[in-house]
Amino acid sequence: MTASLTAAGPDAPAGPPGARRPRRRRELSVLLAVVACAVLVLVGSVFPIGAVLSAALSGEALPRYAEFFTSPVDLRILANTLVLGLLVGVAGTAIGFLFAFVQTRLDVPGKRVLHVMALVPVISPPFAVATATIVLFGRRGLVTHGLLGVEYDIYGLDGLVFVLSLSLFPVAYLGLLGMMRGLDPAMEEAAMTMGASRWRVFRTVMLPLLAPGIAAPFLLLFVEAIADLANPLVLGGDYTVLAGRAYLAVTGEYDTTSAAVYSLILLVPSLGVFLAQRYWLSRKVRTTITGKPSGSVHLITGWVRWPIYGLAVFVALIIAMLYGTVLAGGVTKVFGVDYTLTFDHLREVVLGVGREALADTTTLAMIATPVAGIFGMLIAWLVVRHLGRLGGWLDFAGTLGVAVPGTVLGIGYLLAYRPDRYIGDVLVLPALVGGGAVAGGAAAIVLAYIVRSVPAGLRTGTAALSQVHRSLEEASTNLGAGPMRTFRTITLPLIRPALLTGLSYSFARCMTSISTIILLVTPGTQIITSQILSAAGTGRYGVAFAYCTVLTVIVLAGFGVIRLLVGRTATLNRIAEGRQR
Amino acid sequence: MMTFPHRTSRQPSTERRPHTGAPYRRPRLTAALAITGAVAIAGTGCARTDAPGGQAATADAGRVTVACGATEEWCAAMASTFTAKTGVKADFVRLSSGEALARIQAGRSNTEFDVWHGGPSDAYAAAAEQGLLEKYVSPNAAAIPAKYKDADGDWTGVYVGVLGFCNNTQVLAEKGVKAPESWADLAGPGLKQNVGIAHPSTSGTAYTTLWTQVVLNGGTPEGALAYMRKLHPNVLQYSKSGVAPAQQAARGEVGVGIVFSHDCVATQEQGFPHLKLTFPAEGTGYEVGGVAVLKGAHNPVSAKKYVDFALTPAAQELGPTVKAYQVPTHPDAKRSDKVVDLNAVRLVDYDSAAAGKAKADLTRMFDDQVARAPKA
Amino acid sequence: MTAAGLASAQPGGGADAPGSAEQAGRLRLDGLTKVFRTRGADPVVAVDKVTLDVAPGEFITLLGPSGCGKTTTLRIVAGLEEATGGHVRLDGQPIDALPPQRRPMAMVFQSYALFPHLTVEQNIAYGLRVQRRGKEETETAIRIALTSMNLVGLENRSPHELSGGQQQRVALARALVVQPKVLLFDEPLSNLDAKLRGAMRAEIRRIQRRLGITSLYVTHDQDEAMTMSDRIVVMNKGRIEQVATPADIYFRPATVFVADFIGRANFIEVVPEQVDEGGATVTALGRTMTVPAHPDVRPNAGAYLMVRPETLSLAPAPMGGVGTVLRATFHGHSVDYEVETNAGTLAVTVPGPDPRTLLDEGANVSVAIDPARAYVLTKS
Repeated sequence: MTASLTAAGPDAPAGPPGARRPRRRRELSVLLAVVACAVLVLVGSVFPIGAVLSAALSGEALPRYAEFFTSPVDLRILANTLVLGLLVGVAGTAIGFLFAFVQTRLDVPGKRVLHVMALVPVISPPFAVATATIVLFGRRGLVTHGLLGVEYDIYGLDGLVFVLSLSLFPVAYLGLLGMMRGLDPAMEEAAMTMGASRWRVFRTVMLPLLAPGIAAPFLLLFVEAIADLANPLVLGGDYTVLAGRAYLAVTGEYDTTSAAVYSLILLVPSLGVFLAQRYWLSRKVRTTITGKPSGSVHLITGWVRWPIYGLAVFVALIIAMLYGTVLAGGVTKVFGVDYTLTFDHLREVVLGVGREALADTTTLAMIATPVAGIFGMLIAWLVVRHLGRLGGWLDFAGTLGVAVPGTVLGIGYLLAYRPDRYIGDVLVLPALVGGGAVAGGAAAIVLAYIVRSVPAGLRTGTAALSQVHRSLEEASTNLGAGPMRTFRTITLPLIRPALLTGLSYSFARCMTSISTIILLVTPGTQIITSQILSAAGTGRYGVAFAYCTVLTVIVLAGFGVIRLLVGRTATLNRIAEGRQR
Repeated sequence: MMTFPHRTSRQPSTERRPHTGAPYRRPRLTAALAITGAVAIAGTGCARTDAPGGQAATADAGRVTVACGATEEWCAAMASTFTAKTGVKADFVRLSSGEALARIQAGRSNTEFDVWHGGPSDAYAAAAEQGLLEKYVSPNAAAIPAKYKDADGDWTGVYVGVLGFCNNTQVLAEKGVKAPESWADLAGPGLKQNVGIAHPSTSGTAYTTLWTQVVLNGGTPEGALAYMRKLHPNVLQYSKSGVAPAQQAARGEVGVGIVFSHDCVATQEQGFPHLKLTFPAEGTGYEVGGVAVLKGAHNPVSAKKYVDFALTPAAQELGPTVKAYQVPTHPDAKRSDKVVDLNAVRLVDYDSAAAGKAKADLTRMFDDQVARAPKA
Repeated sequence: MTAAGLASAQPGGGADAPGSAEQAGRLRLDGLTKVFRTRGADPVVAVDKVTLDVAPGEFITLLGPSGCGKTTTLRIVAGLEEATGGHVRLDGQPIDALPPQRRPMAMVFQSYALFPHLTVEQNIAYGLRVQRRGKEETETAIRIALTSMNLVGLENRSPHELSGGQQQRVALARALVVQPKVLLFDEPLSNLDAKLRGAMRAEIRRIQRRLGITSLYVTHDQDEAMTMSDRIVVMNKGRIEQVATPADIYFRPATVFVADFIGRANFIEVVPEQVDEGGATVTALGRTMTVPAHPDVRPNAGAYLMVRPETLSLAPAPMGGVGTVLRATFHGHSVDYEVETNAGTLAVTVPGPDPRTLLDEGANVSVAIDPARAYVLTKS
């Protein structure tokens, strides 16, 4: 039986007639938090995307669509983009699966080393691999020309797939690792006791169970690949993709309408696939791979493990070679031609022209990282604990920063925040982008950093919060502490490990970010990745390599600092699960 | 037999709220919505492209920001020498020609830069056409020959560069091809996928090449595009930056790079052997590197000081110290022996004003018709 | 220092709610209703017009099967859920608009909810620190709490280093030390083993009696409810079936559900011939007797005669009797018989059986009902 709310019903307690039932007022602190998060998300993501959409759907833009879909050149660009995404998705997921399989199912030595190798691409800037690839595998590449005597044109689709797969596979690897560890070995045991060979078990039990789990990283890699800007610029050759085209439209012609049109066309598959991966697929995954596995894992010990292992080691060697080149290239005159040791490149980077870029980028990243970390946690807390349906929207808006290609976001910032905004004669919002803007354009860059890093913090925060039993927070409230105090004294300490991960990842992401901020760089704000691109573009590979090396050092140093500041982790995690029934 | 009512629960457990257990069930976010609504309205406030009020001509913060079109080292040398000489702080951003033009256009209402220095005059002419430059005739401009400066005083030339072929003799020997001595040679069959050139949209060097083809092929865009189409199969890729082809040639990735000759010399000096310069017999284009004050500059006084500085022989002699071997425009400036002799090369009649006017359309046509065509 | 010290050592009450000290803790639930609406499913009524008066210092248990709404009711009182309808009043004032942190109540959770990153001492001190009591006050209160709950020496341990019983006591101490007007318990003993449970029951009851704090206790264990409560509230499907003392619940259950939920019961269909002050006159198993009856029982209307298994006596009746033994289960201290009669299959428990008089399956027996300990219920 439903109950009506107002006290006007016949079974209402005695009181002044028509008196409304006193509604609970929302906590002020929660309201403030919601407002703060909403403002950040609106200003950081929603408005810029809205600006792109309104430019892309404006009167001038509409005829461009007809042009686009009737021009074979443009259609080819679209096809290029999608094909790149597909191939990278497949290749990257395959490599990730290979590594995960070796880690969880093979009885071989050196697993720790393989694990570390698999994570190296995470902390390096995107085109370190691209530039090293040219030097090693290009027409005059050390390996292709020098060792094998082959003249191989690495520019184009093959080079891009090679580079992007190696750069992005860690994402697939980590996801699949978790999934394969969560797979209940008892199922494999049951199949084996029924007489199935290991290969049959793999084919008929493991793969079907993992299938939704494999689809997830595939889709994610697809999204990242079609959004990538840096590698196509360095290595694309004549293989033009949408992101690159949009970028050129802005920097080469300042044709914002065309740029917006390209952005919208890019946005459709990107956002669509991202949404599919997050909302539809992840639900399926949760239902097939859950719970604590029982039984023990049977590692493969037969001869068959060696070829598989060999493959993984081969890939790891390539990675080692590429990053070794980056390191070596930074300290040799011209790697591949002149191997004299020199510190000129490093000097230019650390002491010379690059000094300002190092300082600016690190400063901006250091400002953005804690803000992103806090907001990520805050949004996770609000969504998981305090907001009902509305929380879903906030969660989605918070994740937009990563669902949308960086180039599109950058274009959005240009469109939305370059001009000063007036209502009548009153300056409502000063320009945020451009040399003449607030803080010389630094504000926009920090905002872009934050918006691109919040989603990761949001994800780890949500996972961590679901591990903290609700009764802990209820007990705190029950003892008199308001929501904010509870968050501060109870929740936050318990999710510290997640905070640590989120902050580290945010810092790495900020420092290596290129596609969004390349359009926002101003004379007053030099950004390392922009300098790398410029150096690589003018062929000064030594300097580019030096920048990459220094960048990686800064990122690792940042990890250390964060770990120091945020503190101990470990045991709290398990305890935070509380006493379950 | 009797059945007793059983103790089984027939309802699903409803003691916790189904998904979040949130104690505050009905969100009353009116205050929150009001505030975010205010932000939303602020965000949709009209964008004004004209800054209200004018900039006082003497307002100046004592610093100057330079959009710089030559190499990074050249820009750095210019900036630091200027600061040393005048005490005015100078910042620069190195941009290729097309990028610089695009950014100056973008910053029309709120310029980021005060001065544009270096990079071919075609772009300067285009900018002047759009009213982006501030006319300024420096006292030092009197010494500069008339053909190297704008008649209306929009920009003044600081150096001259000549387009040439930067050849890697080793690669060409391997391919069994002679170094090209003409544009026709360049488009010949032996150099398939072995020519490096930049994209005219972003690179002034490449645009100079393109306009040269216009001049050499009947003065029409169609003529130029016809040549470029013939050249297309030989091009490895259209790089973003104008100096990249020299690097590509130097590393042996291509046999020939189309760059200004001074870039080829500079690359050689970096330590690359096997590089040889040749020039097309039909005639080659050239660039005049410009310097100009931007309209709406925040530091107009300092900007003018900078222009004055750039036109002095001393400034123009800085080039060779940073391996930049353009020909200085000031007749009194000492020329290094690595600088090309303008009399030894056949130059076409290059009208940079016309080139600048046609830039936008021509590059778009090039992009549509040539650049993205398949290389079959 | 005794547990009583906990209350008397603190000056005054720190809580917000109004009401004089003597009245402190009168709780009234007025037509509380809670409806859960989920998209795509029918709305679920978890709590249906629950009305209850709790006197100051009373120990009330909410008892019922899972899904009956007892925990939801408790959480509404605590402020952790918002009711769809009805009111909660403390000492006469409605507290519905107060968020949980402003209600002068303390809750002991089923999982104890001890803060894992704080020591025992910090856990207990938490509420006091929120209330900003002085340093000395806080320390005194903690000392008293540790002593009276037998936790001395464990101040600096982390919760995961304690046994289940110790954690329980810490949770209780933490709740008591803030001097709540109402204590709420959400099945706090269900995670303990049987022996510990018994000891803790007594402990909780003892403390509660001494401190005189109004307590609302939720459990599904009827034995717990029976042994601890001043009054029991039996709930089913969101509704209150009966509110009464344990004795009344047992001997005078208001409904069939209550009778069946507490202890075991046999129900014999009867039609009372007459109902008056003394009870209802019914005929069962061949005998007519006057049995105490529920006020709603009417003559000539169908009713149930409730007879508890331990109140039935069996005697062998070789010459045909009222019933036949279907099954006998020997527990040692008692024997359970299932006896087939014309009134249905009856469960009979014989405590402390004489080994010589054990009955076998198939034996014919006579069954005697003790009218004084039977009860007539309506058929609702």
